[in-house]
Amino acid sequence: MSLKVSQLLDGQLSTEETQSVLAELAANPAERDRFTVYALIGDVLRGNPTPDDAYTHRILERLRREGASIEPGFDPLRDPIAE
Amino acid sequence: MQAADPDIELARLAQAGDARAFEALVVKYQRRIARHVARFIKSADDVEDVVQDVFVRAYRGLASFRGDSQFYSWLYRIASNAALNHLRRASDDVLLGDDAPDERISEFAPGVSDAAQPDRTLMAEQIADAVQRALAKLQPQLAEALMLFEVEKKSYAEIAELLQIPIGTVRTRIFRAREFIARRLEPVVGPRRDRRW
Repeated sequence: MSLKVSQLLDGQLSTEETQSVLAELAANPAERDRFTVYALIGDVLRGNPTPDDAYTHRILERLRREGASIEPGFDPLRDPIAE
Repeated sequence: MQAADPDIELARLAQAGDARAFEALVVKYQRRIARHVARFIKSADDVEDVVQDVFVRAYRGLASFRGDSQFYSWLYRIASNAALNHLRRASDDVLLGDDAPDERISEFAPGVSDAAQPDRTLMAEQIADAVQRALAKLQPQLAEALMLFEVEKKSYAEIAELLQIPIGTVRTRIFRAREFIARRLEPVVGPRRDRRW
């Protein structure tokens, strides 16, 4: 599974394999941690900022709190002030 | 010819309603987007707000991603738009222009602008230090594969061609490099599962 997590991050899996690994990540916190740490390693190597642990959690909480859903007519590249 | 999009599978699954796929994309790109937004905005809190805006907008607008460009390019454009609109709305003390882009990035880097959050700065420094130490101890061929992929942004196929090795070997070397570094990061980042995604 560890190798598959690495491949998921790099976009090296088929659709079916991607779904399978995502299911494993959803069920297994240790594998989610692995994905997170692999992504972190890449960001550190590239000199990207490394904010606190809960950064991801806050982004996802905002999505959940706002009840964000996919909106077929919504264009995210539009000026939000015009909405 | 545009290189294959490494995120196409996750993006398509997210468009089909698989929230886990979108969450994986958040984990993958949150820091890159934060770095980009920080080129426009000085306050770390405002950067975080805008980064959240970016992912909310990207999720809402997933149906409009057609794969004409790579997913990250699309996300990058959303981030630029969101950052510029934030500037228009807020009276922020922002450094504009390209005269010192690296300075801008380093200002944001590991919590430097978080004067009230010294712990964050220390943690970020510890993480960076642990990664660099691990890299120094890594077998050279593993380090080379990882750096070509992560920093030089070469594809697996390009790395295979460059190093004259099978793609399977590229895959394995990158994985082994990550595992080696991850084990050495464990004492620093710890198993904080309750606060991760």
